[in-house]
Amino acid sequence: MPAEPTTQELRALVAEFEPEKGHVLPALHKVQEQYGYISRKAIEIVARQLNTTPALIYGAVSFYSDFRTHPPAATEISWCSGPACRLLGGDRIREAMQQTLELPLGGQSGDHRYGLHLGQCNGTCSEAPQVWVNGKVTGNLTVASAIRLAREVKGAE
Amino acid sequence: MNARLQSMIDAARREWDESRVSGREQINVCMDTSSVARGANETLAALKTSAQRLGLKIDIGVTGTWGFCWMEPTVTVRSAAGTRTVLYANVTADRVEEFLQTTIVEQRDMAELALGVVEGNSTPEVPLLSDHPFMKGQIRRVMANIGLIDPENIDHYLANSGYEGFGKALEMDAEAIVKEMLDSGLGGRAGGGFPAGRKWDFLRNATAEPRYLVCNADEGDPGAWVNRVLMEGDPQLIIEGMLIAALAAHASIGYIYIRYEYPLCIERMQKAVNQAYDRGLLGKDVLGSGLDFELIVFKGAGSYVCGEETGLIASVDGYRGMPRIKPPFPAQAGLWNKPTNVNNVESYANAPMIMRNGAQWWTSVSTAKEKGTKMFTFSGNVNWAGCIEIPFGPTVRHALEQWAGGMRDGRPCKGFQPGGPLSGVVSGNELDLTLTLDPYRERGLFLGGGGIVFFDDTACTLDLCKYFLAFCEDESCARCTTCHGGTQRAVEIIRRIQQGGGREADIDNFEQLVRTLVWSNCFHGQFAMTTIKTALKAFRDEWDEHIIEKRCRAGVCEGLIQYVVRSQGDTALPAAKEICPTGAIVEERGTYSIDDGLCIRCGACKELAPAAIEIRDRIARRVAAGAAAGGA
Repeated sequence: MPAEPTTQELRALVAEFEPEKGHVLPALHKVQEQYGYISRKAIEIVARQLNTTPALIYGAVSFYSDFRTHPPAATEISWCSGPACRLLGGDRIREAMQQTLELPLGGQSGDHRYGLHLGQCNGTCSEAPQVWVNGKVTGNLTVASAIRLAREVKGAE
Repeated sequence: MNARLQSMIDAARREWDESRVSGREQINVCMDTSSVARGANETLAALKTSAQRLGLKIDIGVTGTWGFCWMEPTVTVRSAAGTRTVLYANVTADRVEEFLQTTIVEQRDMAELALGVVEGNSTPEVPLLSDHPFMKGQIRRVMANIGLIDPENIDHYLANSGYEGFGKALEMDAEAIVKEMLDSGLGGRAGGGFPAGRKWDFLRNATAEPRYLVCNADEGDPGAWVNRVLMEGDPQLIIEGMLIAALAAHASIGYIYIRYEYPLCIERMQKAVNQAYDRGLLGKDVLGSGLDFELIVFKGAGSYVCGEETGLIASVDGYRGMPRIKPPFPAQAGLWNKPTNVNNVESYANAPMIMRNGAQWWTSVSTAKEKGTKMFTFSGNVNWAGCIEIPFGPTVRHALEQWAGGMRDGRPCKGFQPGGPLSGVVSGNELDLTLTLDPYRERGLFLGGGGIVFFDDTACTLDLCKYFLAFCEDESCARCTTCHGGTQRAVEIIRRIQQGGGREADIDNFEQLVRTLVWSNCFHGQFAMTTIKTALKAFRDEWDEHIIEKRCRAGVCEGLIQYVVRSQGDTALPAAKEICPTGAIVEERGTYSIDDGLCIRCGACKELAPAAIEIRDRIARRVAAGAAAGGA
């Protein structure tokens, strides 16, 4: 896991952004791409850089599903919530994976090895039902194959 | 034609023509999100290494998708003489060696993977691509280049009529451009159908400066990927459309707002924008014409309501993407309270053709009231999850059979969702509705951005409603109590019914929600109950079954069903026990049973032991038994 970025690093990272130019989301994306998440310190620094308040920046962070306030797990499983996946057993796959991983949607294991969260349809519906393991499609799942996948992720050291 | 543009086009054409008679075979791999999901990266890598190993001198390139998304990776092979091109499907990395051996070394068609002949002569084994059932009846206009050109090469676009429409528009005054757009009747392609020409005219007549253009590429309807196909297949087309709008409306700054779930779109649009800047097609004094137009690719961050134009504007501004009340409309007060025009990707993509070939040509394709062509994607319980472009007007039945390959396993079509989670559901008894706007409007639904989802009788109506309402709840911006609280309430009631706690008053509860959510400020809240409203009409008996009889005919609703072992001694039972994620399957001296309290109804056991395990009514059976006992 990357170390918590320092104030200096964060300031340098967002130095290019300006107030009133539509730079809130680009600045937050840049922080998350660099560090994997948006820390409390990053929220304060982005706010100062954009001449606004941490409340407004946190308001944006908490509104959008892509932004994380904690580091991601080493293996992130995104469960596709789209209608094609749903019609082909996606919700039963979700239930089974949650049980196997002992995680709610949005949760991660105590040792940060694996996490599970809700993903939005990206139109690869020919592969339904599917999950994305660190962004890579694992498609045409059955409930049984999803359980085996979850066991593998959970069991891996 | 602008002299600088003309010379750029001439140079691109010369280069294109030369590349087409290079004397080498040309292999193009479709590289888009769908094909990558099916292994296109591996195919491309394998083609390169195999070609090297076999000592083949061939050109290998990439394109967008032909729309056969369920058969990716697709690959075209163009003969060295440049006279014949064949499209192949399912060219996975493990078939590549054999594929090159056959098509290049032995110079034969690989008939078992061939979809059809794109150009040149057909054979008895490989017919013309235009005769493929999926291609029949399609008219590809915005998709004309997709599959043929490299989306990351502006010269490919320029060599294939690219920027000719903009060239024409440069010679017209703003009023004439707007008139041509109005004459075309191009309606908003996100489902609203509002004339794009009128929107442009609003912006043209605005008084404040600067004026902004926004391309709404926040294609958030689950099951829709038409905008993705355009952005990944022909991104310059969208830039050209925006340039024409900039001329028409005197706009100087543009944003393309792309959802973060589309990383390849963001990458390709950014490359396309960079190339357009390099050629002087964007920036200050475009091609010496006096037009200044800056274009910014803006990455969303995951929010469905940012597809609503005022939500999108708030999001670019840097706030939570919460829609606001209209008026004022964006044409008066949009980005930073300046005049702003928002159009969908596909709407902008039509403008170059309208300029190039004229409104009359453009409208001639469709006999329906809605002019031009429309892209659609199909998914759900269908055989083919693909992307098409057709003139407005065919029936849904025709679309299902012709372009979605019919329902899977020959099951009946129970219904379909015409365009996103706000659009409602239509019964399978109404498959003769046409793919035009009015029939849905008349029924209180709408035909959305092009993503049509078909479902069969394995789908439970209530479960579908729960899914779409939970989506609406999740994605509500929470400004309006009607929407925020109302969707939450709807989901709670459905959950209770699914657990067996349905009450007859629940239908009234839903109708109350239908009546109150329409008071919400924006489209999201106003249409959030459409699914339930239309499902109550189309599938009323199923609601009554759940609420009164406590029965789910599809065997889905967790509280109303029970998994039971029906035949002991099945050899698959140990595997079923092993897979159960909650340890609900218990074995005692060779006899298996399922602990109903532990069972989460995931169905993994039934997948592995289909003959030994069955789904039974959990409550309805007891109620029926009780009634029978009482009657005796």
